[in-house]
Amino acid sequence: MNTKEIVVISGKGGTGKTSLMASLVPFFEDAVIADCDVDAPDLKILFEGENIEEKEFIGLKRAFINQDECSRCGLCKDHCKFKAINDELEVEMESCEGCGVCEYICPNNAIQMNDSVVGKVNVSNTKYGKLIHGRLIPGEETSGKLVAQVRKKAKEIAKNENLKYILIDGSPGIGCNVISSMTGVDKAIIVIEPTLSGLHDLEKIYNLTQKFDIPVSVVLNKSDLSVNGNKGIKDYCNNYDLNIDLEVPFNPNMVKAIVNKEIPSIYDPLFFDEIKFGRFIENLKNL
Amino acid sequence: MEIAVLSGKGGTGKTTLATNLAFVQKKCILIDTDVEEPNSHIFLKPKELNRKVITTEYPNVDKSKCVLCGDCGDFCRYNAILPAKNKVLVFKEMCHDCGGCKLVCKHDAIHYEKQEIGSMYFGETAYGFNIKYGDLKVGAVSGVKIIETLKSSLVKEDLIFIDSPPGTSCSTVAAVKDADYAVIVSEPTPFGVSDMKMVVEMLRNMNILFGVVINKAGLGDNEIYEYCEEENIRILGEIPFEKRFARAYANGEILSNVFDEYRNYMQNILNKISN
Repeated sequence: MNTKEIVVISGKGGTGKTSLMASLVPFFEDAVIADCDVDAPDLKILFEGENIEEKEFIGLKRAFINQDECSRCGLCKDHCKFKAINDELEVEMESCEGCGVCEYICPNNAIQMNDSVVGKVNVSNTKYGKLIHGRLIPGEETSGKLVAQVRKKAKEIAKNENLKYILIDGSPGIGCNVISSMTGVDKAIIVIEPTLSGLHDLEKIYNLTQKFDIPVSVVLNKSDLSVNGNKGIKDYCNNYDLNIDLEVPFNPNMVKAIVNKEIPSIYDPLFFDEIKFGRFIENLKNL
Repeated sequence: MEIAVLSGKGGTGKTTLATNLAFVQKKCILIDTDVEEPNSHIFLKPKELNRKVITTEYPNVDKSKCVLCGDCGDFCRYNAILPAKNKVLVFKEMCHDCGGCKLVCKHDAIHYEKQEIGSMYFGETAYGFNIKYGDLKVGAVSGVKIIETLKSSLVKEDLIFIDSPPGTSCSTVAAVKDADYAVIVSEPTPFGVSDMKMVVEMLRNMNILFGVVINKAGLGDNEIYEYCEEENIRILGEIPFEKRFARAYANGEILSNVFDEYRNYMQNILNKISN
């Protein structure tokens, strides 16, 4: 079974990734859902289910200085490129990147690199299939690694259960967590809004997808927000031979659905008919 | 005084709030630390910008000295340097620039070269105060170094507004570190509340005082107000959801420049913060 992976990303935050992803799910019968927005995983709010697995996620290691063995030579502080060791020769955990240089350089073996639990990966059984969601402890690094872990778990389940699709909810931005959520996918859906900020951010996220040679589908959300904004996005897409595969006008029912913890496409099916959501899904499935 | 504006959830209105607060305050500087997707400059329209390129280093292996012992690969925690059969492979995007591989190499075969990860821009906005922002190069994995550079070159002027990135990971930590106060911008929806909880946890761990501004008020429900009351979180202000605000924002306008009520919302928030 050749499982197809589809990721929803945006560049700009708040354009409607999770709302769109949630709306897609009921139409993909044999799919596993992966929430890779590990900083702020929200899909579980709309897809409640029984938690069937929880694993701690160990990110990078962190340095611990045994003050009893420490000779106060300060070599660790001198060599730390992340300024994670202060004048009192204590490790500042939020700055430590776990490189191990201090452990290597310490003449007294006073430093140890210890495993650091930075998050967790959960598997839930929901009405629409299994949901894999990762959560990073607020303030932590290695979100890219945690995203990779969530995807790995999703692939494992898709393989074991012979599932056709992995639907991935991505995060805003263009950093390691976004890169990790899109490498090797069959399609990246970029959700954008018709604003100047949206246009600016579209350029960067689109460039990122092209760096990784990923086929793209563009969804213009809140499309009637601004005539100028709408035109700006369309001009950009024309220049880069991009089609806007789905245009979604602003609809207060989208928010009402979320507030009621319901999937928008189930809450307001007439609206989704009007915007030809069915056709968008058919095209997605013909990957 | 350094005031960080953050949110957890994307798109709640951080940039809108930070730029408008700065516009109303006037005597201040705005630092845009959302280096992956910086937007403040779109609204603040700086006239001329000074640019500084930000680089990190990555290892370059001298084949004539390298004996393929594998020590560098064994040491590296990031899979950035991998000795293979005939040569050493370097994945420069993975390199965290820790200096470890050069330290452990007994044959002096490693030296470092620079790679550009982005830029820092500085200039005067169209409204009489300065802006500084970072821009991460597409393909670079982390903007933390740019954020740290943006913050290290700060002079404690009258007031510094930090427009932060979304989320709660290392970029946001770097952006709000050492702030005197944090303003959480959220929206009255389940996603807004859920993501706000993560930001609250992060700020409490960092011991940073904070309050919340509820943006797009009226769009969702009351869960966020109940949450703030339960947790004793100060609501600094509410800005109603209005299509005319959204439209002006879409066109890159500073809302306080266009609507008097918006200006008043900002002034009230500033007054609450200074108390």
